[in-house]
Amino acid sequence: MSTDIVNKQKTPTFKLLAPGVVWMILFLVAPIMMIVYVSFWTQTTFSINSTLTLESWRNFFASDAYVGALWTTVRLWLIVLGMTFLIGYPAALYVGLLVKSKTLSTVLLVLCVIPFWTSFLIRVLAWRPMLGKEGAVNIVLQKMGLIDSPIEVLLFSELSVIIGMTQIYVVFMVGPIAFMLGRIDRNIIEAARDLGAGFGRIFWKIIFPLSLPGVVVGAIFVSVMVLGEFATSGALSGRKVNLLGNIIVTQVGSLKWAMASVVGVILTVLLGIVVAGFLRIVDLKREL
Amino acid sequence: MESKILKPVLAIYIGLFILFLYGPFFVLGILSFQQGPEGGPQFPIIEWSTYWYKHLFGMTPPSRIAPLPVGEALVRSLILAFMTMVTATVLGVMAAQAFRRRFTGAGIVFYLIVLGMMVPGVLTGLGTSLLANNVVGIERHWWSTAFVAHVVYTFPFAFLVMLAILNRFDGSVEEASWSLGVSPIRTFRKVTFPLIFPGVLSAMLFAFTLSFDEFPRTLFASGRDQTLPLAIYGTFSVEIHPNIFAFGVMTTLFSFALLAVYGILMGLSVRRAKKMAMQEDIA
Repeated sequence: MSTDIVNKQKTPTFKLLAPGVVWMILFLVAPIMMIVYVSFWTQTTFSINSTLTLESWRNFFASDAYVGALWTTVRLWLIVLGMTFLIGYPAALYVGLLVKSKTLSTVLLVLCVIPFWTSFLIRVLAWRPMLGKEGAVNIVLQKMGLIDSPIEVLLFSELSVIIGMTQIYVVFMVGPIAFMLGRIDRNIIEAARDLGAGFGRIFWKIIFPLSLPGVVVGAIFVSVMVLGEFATSGALSGRKVNLLGNIIVTQVGSLKWAMASVVGVILTVLLGIVVAGFLRIVDLKREL
Repeated sequence: MESKILKPVLAIYIGLFILFLYGPFFVLGILSFQQGPEGGPQFPIIEWSTYWYKHLFGMTPPSRIAPLPVGEALVRSLILAFMTMVTATVLGVMAAQAFRRRFTGAGIVFYLIVLGMMVPGVLTGLGTSLLANNVVGIERHWWSTAFVAHVVYTFPFAFLVMLAILNRFDGSVEEASWSLGVSPIRTFRKVTFPLIFPGVLSAMLFAFTLSFDEFPRTLFASGRDQTLPLAIYGTFSVEIHPNIFAFGVMTTLFSFALLAVYGILMGLSVRRAKKMAMQEDIA
């Protein structure tokens, strides 16, 4: 009887999991392995063959343009991550903790999500008429008399990429933080207040530590998306800002699969370090 | 306490924050009514017109501005999103169902699935096309290589949604059904599935919209026939015109229509669940 139950339980688990696991191994793990493998292939101008060589790797680290793209990616990632946190946290604090009414909090969250129903690429393009020399931002600032001549650095610069990415990804920071803040037991805050703690103290000792898992989840979301980006930087920087993603796209475009793979492996390693680092700060499995 | 000051300050802040989120969106909407065909994708509006909407549907006299190649791309994207939605949701429900029991290797399987949403799209796309080109030796198509890459991306979302739903699920109704001698498959169809249906709807909505707008994976994996996001990406390299903004407004309206359908289905299924609960009470 007991073995019968065990059998009954084990077989369905295996059968239920097999399709998904097989799919992920065939179409996710194998492709990533393939990128690693191809990064050692021999690339000639017009063709590629599977003789193993370190040539592409040497070329990557010998080129200022490629190594530069690596540092640009890291720098931009850090800036955008910082911006999404700084801009997103106060918004999440209001939505998740300070708004008493459940309805208002839901309405605000939905308002934040609605722009995401427009195509990502069109949202990127929409920043062009915002930031251009005759763009909306410059027109508004001039009408308000804050500036005399249009700010030209707003578009086709690193700044425009940062502005665009911050707007597009900030919601992925707001959501998880607001969620964690919403779960805080209000009685703890009440108790701390009764014991005479000021808001600053309550924030640093109670609210912020309890919201930290949300910050980490948000940071992982933002990092994963920003590190693999190429469309925003392509469209808003006028090809001045080259990220690792942009290098991959141009290399594939000129059929240099080996170099694209090298950059792909470097991107994977970078991402692995970043995500592992975040997971060390907070043990997500315990928190969620 | 300070929250007396803090709250109004943050209330103003949230207003500015939403303005920041919606700014480009409004500008896009306004500029889609730019005069055509000589009106550009920037201010000022020369004259208000619906020219670019007509242009989108090919209802304007021919001009030097090529129409957006959206017709066929739209159909492809819809079919692809539908295929992805069905596959990802089925895989997601199955995997989440399996996770209701403890089993060895659960941690590894969990991370294997979640990895699909973590790996940057460019890499999934690159790897898939390398594999297709060099190992399997097949041509890339939106319905084959791009499709498998889309499922890799959306399956984890469906899985996590279903996991959250099933975590709150009361298993005693299923046990009752089994002990009455109903087969597990029939129990799932008649008991479990109706109860988790709202979750399934959310998983489907997630998978559909993510696939419909998916672009970095599709770029490398789709071969020569374009999907909708790829058609839009194609305009990046040439001069942009307000037709792309008009198109943005249209796709947003389409998304809202989809959201409305989801809302209606959700409302219906919640009402049905309530009705069933009431009948149980009476019985």
